[in-house]
Amino acid sequence: MTAHAKLPTPPIADPVSDRAPVPQEALEAIFDDIRKHPLYDHEIHGCLNCGICTATCPSAQYYDYSPREIVQLLWTENLEGIYDAMQEKIWACAQCYTCAARCPFENSPGGLVMILREVAIKHELPSVKEVLRPFSRVLLKVVTTGNQLAPNMITRDAFPDWGPNVTKVDAPLMVLRKAIPMPTMHTLDTAWEVNLRTSVELYTIWEATGVLKQLATVDANLFDVVSDVMDEKRDEWEEWLEDNQDEDGDTDD
Amino acid sequence: MQTKGDGAGGAYNGFGADWTPTNLTETEAKRATGWVEARIDKRFLLTGKDRKEDVRDIMWQLEKDGEIVVHRVADHHAPELAKTLYGWDKKIPTTNLWHHKSCGQCGNIPGYPSSVLWIMNQLGLDYLDETDQTSCTAWNYHGSGIGNVVSLAAVFLRNMHQAYVSAKAHGLPVGTYYPLIHCGTSFGNYKEIRGFLLHSAELRAEVKKILGKLGRLVDGKLLIPEEIVHYSEWLHMMRHRIAARQTIDVSAVRATVHPACHVYKMVPEDVIYDDTVLNGDRVAVTTGLLQTLGAQVIDYSTWYDCCGFGFRHIIGEREFTRSFAIDRKIKVAVEEARSDVMIGHDTGCITTLDKNQWIGRAVGKVYALPVMADCQFAALTMGAHPYKLAQLHWHASPFEELLEKMGIDWEQAKAEFVAYLDEVKAGRIETLYDPRRAITSGPGYVKPPKTLQGA
Repeated sequence: MTAHAKLPTPPIADPVSDRAPVPQEALEAIFDDIRKHPLYDHEIHGCLNCGICTATCPSAQYYDYSPREIVQLLWTENLEGIYDAMQEKIWACAQCYTCAARCPFENSPGGLVMILREVAIKHELPSVKEVLRPFSRVLLKVVTTGNQLAPNMITRDAFPDWGPNVTKVDAPLMVLRKAIPMPTMHTLDTAWEVNLRTSVELYTIWEATGVLKQLATVDANLFDVVSDVMDEKRDEWEEWLEDNQDEDGDTDD
Repeated sequence: MQTKGDGAGGAYNGFGADWTPTNLTETEAKRATGWVEARIDKRFLLTGKDRKEDVRDIMWQLEKDGEIVVHRVADHHAPELAKTLYGWDKKIPTTNLWHHKSCGQCGNIPGYPSSVLWIMNQLGLDYLDETDQTSCTAWNYHGSGIGNVVSLAAVFLRNMHQAYVSAKAHGLPVGTYYPLIHCGTSFGNYKEIRGFLLHSAELRAEVKKILGKLGRLVDGKLLIPEEIVHYSEWLHMMRHRIAARQTIDVSAVRATVHPACHVYKMVPEDVIYDDTVLNGDRVAVTTGLLQTLGAQVIDYSTWYDCCGFGFRHIIGEREFTRSFAIDRKIKVAVEEARSDVMIGHDTGCITTLDKNQWIGRAVGKVYALPVMADCQFAALTMGAHPYKLAQLHWHASPFEELLEKMGIDWEQAKAEFVAYLDEVKAGRIETLYDPRRAITSGPGYVKPPKTLQGA
């Protein structure tokens, strides 16, 4: 039994909003998942409120965000405050870990933010889908290929603010890629050519670690597309294995 | 030390009403505190405490207990020793390296990895660049929250296992190649995950089940690399050999360094510090290289700041990324340090600082600072082609003036590259190694003769 569970527990509501109050049980369930995260104890050890984390935080300069506040909310088990921070603030963190490098307690506010993001996804908090919408193209790429980024994703249309000189030599993209002296990089759809077995092994990791479940929570359509790609690649790999059994029963892999 | 006109009132400096200045001369002040420097190593307070553990001690114990196998940095990797933050030794392998590529570098700034491989060719070092590798997937994790410690650990150990066994595909013994991590985030993430794995039997058990399914155990055990090595660390150890082959004088170049957060702020105890570089107070890689090459390394007030990449922000919230990159890094490097070039050692930083200058014009912040990786700059000083090898045409920031300052005829080099593109179209492509080496399994792989298998 923790301190927060003994306190009077009126439902939490925003006084200037018509939104339904969040039941205390839901807040506790969220906090329990945070506290049970395997890295929670590694990332938080105490807090003197010195604020050196916030003083060095890049996001604190541009957003209503403070790593000190995140640590304090968790350290004091402020369930309402934690829930509120998980709506928007946790997505402001730039994940540079300057806060962790500076904290005299060896806390990692950046690491705590990652725990909060994982739990926000698990509990399908309203902000998650909105925040991650621009990320869907990247998620598709990384889950299906293991590469976060591909050359054909860097276009002037996708990054107009990068200006007209994204490449300074005017030639078809594939020609420019083949002019890179590393054969693994003569590709457009992935940053380097990815071995078929590599992709298939990665899918096993995603399935075994609940990553696909996370993906389904964030974007059901994307999950369907990813599942189709995974099925195709697995079939391709099985076919290759069948075709390449040698006389010893070994495959040529 | 208090000097004349330096706020002798004390209270103005925030020291309180009881504070009075000593009015010591510089020599007297040095004598008053010199004994501290003479008697106490500056890192003694940290190294002398038990609270700072070296996870490699746990690693060796787990191997002794029969729970894991350690992929050693062996003699055939020609290791050299470097000192880390607390004065511990770190073994840096210098040859027979397995390139753990970066998705952001290969997709966006390809001259980055090609420069590393080219320098290895110049130095006569062996390596393998192959297709059986995923990214660390940590860019995605830090940006989206999709993923978790188990998935990150499984990806880490899968790639490390592949590095260990890769040489078998060419008829060489396992352990021939040692992984060299190109990306700063992969480097930081892998070190952090290695620590979690060594501390948690539960995590090891979960990951072991997955790697068992993949056939990625060694004698039924998890394989963990002895050292996790970033390419900038390898470059640091190579700096004198690179300088010996230098053909371009860079003594007129004013360079600023942007150190990458995930390189030196994550698991800081495993980062190289060198008393001869920045007095041993800041990370030595890149700065040490530039100094050895003879460039002027100019300090600036926002050295410690991140670049603004943000993982999620570079994709979905670019107003933050470009504002931070311009206001906190580019502007300061130009106006305060009068920098000719900013040199980095990580994927996201180079991308962010290079690509986000043009948009500054929209708000009257007009800057044009070349940004590139340390390995690209080093390759240029060794005479590498700026387009064919360093691939600078993928950079959005203008590098032409810098090349002129280095005495490189960029116009001629560009014309040569454009002519080379016609050769490429005709299928006459120059590569740094035999392309057949890149495929070690599956479609396209050619098995070595039976006599070499299992060697």
